[in-house]
Amino acid sequence: MVAVAQHPNIELITLAEVVKVTGYIGNFNVTIKKKAKYVDWDLCNGCGTCIDKCPTKKIKDEFDFGMGLRPAIHKLFPQAVPGKPYIDPLNCTKLTKDKCGICEKVCPTGAIRYNDVDQLVTEEVGAIVMATGYDSFNWQDAYGEYGYGKYPDVISGLEFERLVSAGGPTQGKILRPSDGKEPKHIAFIKCVGSRDDTKGKSYCSRACCMYTAKHAYQVKTKIEDSEAYVFYMDVRTAGKNYEEFYQRALNAGAKYIRGRVSKIYPRGDKLILKTEDTLMGMALEVEADMVVLATAMVPAAGAVQLAKTIGFSVDKDGFFQEAHPKLQPVETFTAGVYLAGTCQGPKDIPDTVAQASGAAVKVCGMFSKNELVTEAMVSEVDISKCSGCGLCVPICPYGAISLQEINERGGHGHGPFTRQIAEINSSLCQGCGACLPACRTTALNLKGFTNDQLVSEVDALCL
Amino acid sequence: MKKRVGVFVCECGTNIAATVDTQQVAEYAKTLPGVVYATNYKYMCSDPGQELIRTAIKEQNLEQVVVASCSPRMHEKTFRNAVEGGGINGYMFEMVNIREQNSWVHHDRQEATKKAEDLVRMGVAKVLRNQPLKISTIPVTKRAMVIGGGIAGMQAALDIAEAGHRVILVEKEASIGGKMTQLDKTFPTMDCAA
Repeated sequence: MVAVAQHPNIELITLAEVVKVTGYIGNFNVTIKKKAKYVDWDLCNGCGTCIDKCPTKKIKDEFDFGMGLRPAIHKLFPQAVPGKPYIDPLNCTKLTKDKCGICEKVCPTGAIRYNDVDQLVTEEVGAIVMATGYDSFNWQDAYGEYGYGKYPDVISGLEFERLVSAGGPTQGKILRPSDGKEPKHIAFIKCVGSRDDTKGKSYCSRACCMYTAKHAYQVKTKIEDSEAYVFYMDVRTAGKNYEEFYQRALNAGAKYIRGRVSKIYPRGDKLILKTEDTLMGMALEVEADMVVLATAMVPAAGAVQLAKTIGFSVDKDGFFQEAHPKLQPVETFTAGVYLAGTCQGPKDIPDTVAQASGAAVKVCGMFSKNELVTEAMVSEVDISKCSGCGLCVPICPYGAISLQEINERGGHGHGPFTRQIAEINSSLCQGCGACLPACRTTALNLKGFTNDQLVSEVDALCL
Repeated sequence: MKKRVGVFVCECGTNIAATVDTQQVAEYAKTLPGVVYATNYKYMCSDPGQELIRTAIKEQNLEQVVVASCSPRMHEKTFRNAVEGGGINGYMFEMVNIREQNSWVHHDRQEATKKAEDLVRMGVAKVLRNQPLKISTIPVTKRAMVIGGGIAGMQAALDIAEAGHRVILVEKEASIGGKMTQLDKTFPTMDCAA
């Protein structure tokens, strides 16, 4: 993280999102919305006095999934990069009620800006790498049998990560969210939302088998006299040193039980899991103090909209569509836009890093040339036929068609006049052919797929 | 323009040949108007396969080429380069998909072979109306944008930056790091995530 922030060739723009992209490979114009931070980061020295002095301290910290508290002016987490604070405008009493103003008074560099607003900036770039990541499957909406989220001690794998992390709300002690007691028996349920056509997604999320093995191992090594039960459909450890790691969890005493959990319900301060052991062929009831769900990876919120904004396609699950599943895993169908990480599909850290380096090489390869070759099979306009109706303009998904005025000499009793025609930007046109059916005068043709060529194919088949 | 079409039918090992009689398709192609040369070969995309195309263009004075093989998504560029290597414009070439759209989805050998003949006939009819196309060039802005500052975005940004290019890294949260920053130790090495 720090290496990224310190690199002289990298400009970081955080709290920002891409709102508009125009142009084409080698020549994109990207409009970015920089959200208001209410702190001038050029002046701020990151001392943290404002964070210490902010009186609005009891806001549930989203970073810790509400298991910890934070003030209104805060960093995302203490080691944030850049290490500068920003104000949460929904909870700051100065911004909501015009009371307080303490952070402005205590700031030694005068960096607080209560009148800060969102800003739009436009950047010119030649290539775009998509790395928007994933979100955790919202199991509370789908799994009624696990309590729809109403039992505080049924948590997701990412919440468990916060509990076990030294920088988390419990300083790394595994404690139950409900009463802060140390759980002794922890159950792990895999494939919550993954490999489940009825309630979730049909795909395997690929990383859960391994992080669940890690969680079970951490329970066994961190909590004395503990039990870690892992309920699984299959154990998939296809990766270098993965099977060995799984064996390490088993050797530490993790108990793997092959079966789905059909119901969780409370009994006293315990949770009861109704399940089965399909290898033994028997029904089971297991008592646990805490349950951890290995939830599926789903595309990040807003990813599909972003794909539309930039102009490339997504697959049936909303992950970004690669140009070829085996041979072009980092390219999209839109030239100059590349994919890295879980935005393309569920994967773990080693695969993410490998794909990111692959995307980087594609970008560098492109940048090694001074000029790029464009697609030859693009649309063309026969201006003698074009009526300038403009029906093709909104249909083009790449914004390659615009209306232009041309001058005509006139004749047959008419003087010179101007009229509208459609014009194709051949750099933007990807040759998809979507504009052709819209053209009522057949003025549009796709080079390499002309009407004449297509009719000749049909004739060859049918006549 | 002269009409001298060459048709090259690929067997793709057994991917196509097990379901389509490629030799029969090649023989059939010879009867089509404009076709002066047709042959089948085990792997048309291989070096000897491409050499077959280049040599035939020169020896038979071919003006148009049809390759009946896999999806253009797979090998259109390969064959377009081969055709250009033979000395004619790369767009005087048509690819006919007799694998994904034929041998992989049919079982009946006779019917599949007949379908391959139909597809080749369509390809030949089209290629006779092909025009040489020219490619043009556009300039490159040597600056990249990475959208998302998690593991993938940081790695991509660092690699591009290390190669000497400017990178703008856009992140929606106030810090880079993504989900990784919420993780404790990571498998299989159990080192820290930060």
